[in-house]
Amino acid sequence: MAEVGQRMIWFHGKECPHCRQLRPVVEQFEAETGIVLDKLEVWHDQENQKLMQRYGDTISEACGGDLGVPAFYNERTSKAICGARINLDKLKAWAEVQ
Amino acid sequence: MTKKLWRCHVCNDLHYGINPPEICPTCGAKRAFMLIDHDEAMRIIGNEGGEISTQDAVVGVWRRFGEQSPEFQMTDKMDEVELLSKGVLENRANKGLKYCPCRIPTGDFQKDLNLICPCNFLRQNAYKETGECWCGLFVKRPSEVP
Repeated sequence: MAEVGQRMIWFHGKECPHCRQLRPVVEQFEAETGIVLDKLEVWHDQENQKLMQRYGDTISEACGGDLGVPAFYNERTSKAICGARINLDKLKAWAEVQ
Repeated sequence: MTKKLWRCHVCNDLHYGINPPEICPTCGAKRAFMLIDHDEAMRIIGNEGGEISTQDAVVGVWRRFGEQSPEFQMTDKMDEVELLSKGVLENRANKGLKYCPCRIPTGDFQKDLNLICPCNFLRQNAYKETGECWCGLFVKRPSEVP
C-alpha cells in the first residue's frame, strides 16, 4: 500500500453494479501497470466515506455534480475520474502511465 | 415550507405535500382535501399498498415509469438493469430505502431522500451531457438524442 498522500484510490460501493462490472478492468490495470489501488468501500465504511467527502469537490466535479461511484482519486496529482464508462485507457491516463 | 398530510373526505385518498390537489385524482371531487395527522394517515393505509420488494417488481415499476415519459425510457441493457435492481433492493434491506447504488449518502436523511431511485436525474449534468442518468438506468429516447 502506498503512503497517505501518495495513494491511488478506487472508491466503490458494495451495492454499485457498475463497480462490480469494473472490477476486472481494475484487475487488468493492476496487472499491466504494477500499480495496486487502494480499494475503499464507501457505502458501509464511514471512514472511507469521510475520506471521499474530503476530496468531494474534485470528485463531484468528475462525477457531474454529485458524489458518486465508481470514482478514482489520485492523491499525488489530485486528479479524479468517475462513472460507469471508465475503461482501461481512461484508468491509465488517470494514473499517467503509458 | 413543510409538507403535510391531506385526506379526501369523499374517498379517503391521501396526499403528502405542501398543498392538496384541487381535484381528487381518484374520485374527481373538487376541493375535497383536508389536513390530517400522521397517525390518521397511517391508520388509513394500514397494511394496504403492497410491496415492491422483488427485482421483477422493481424493474416493472421502472419500465412503466419510462413508458409514460415522452423524453426518456428505461435502458434496454438488461444486464445493467438486473444489477441495478439488485443494488437498490440491497440498499432497501440495509438502509431502509431504495437508494441509488451509485451515489453516496450524506447521512442527512432529508438530503439523502434525493438519492432514492429513480432520482430527479433530469437536473443532473450527467443526463444533460450524455443522455443517461448517472447509473445508466434511464436514457433519452432516440428521437430526443441530439
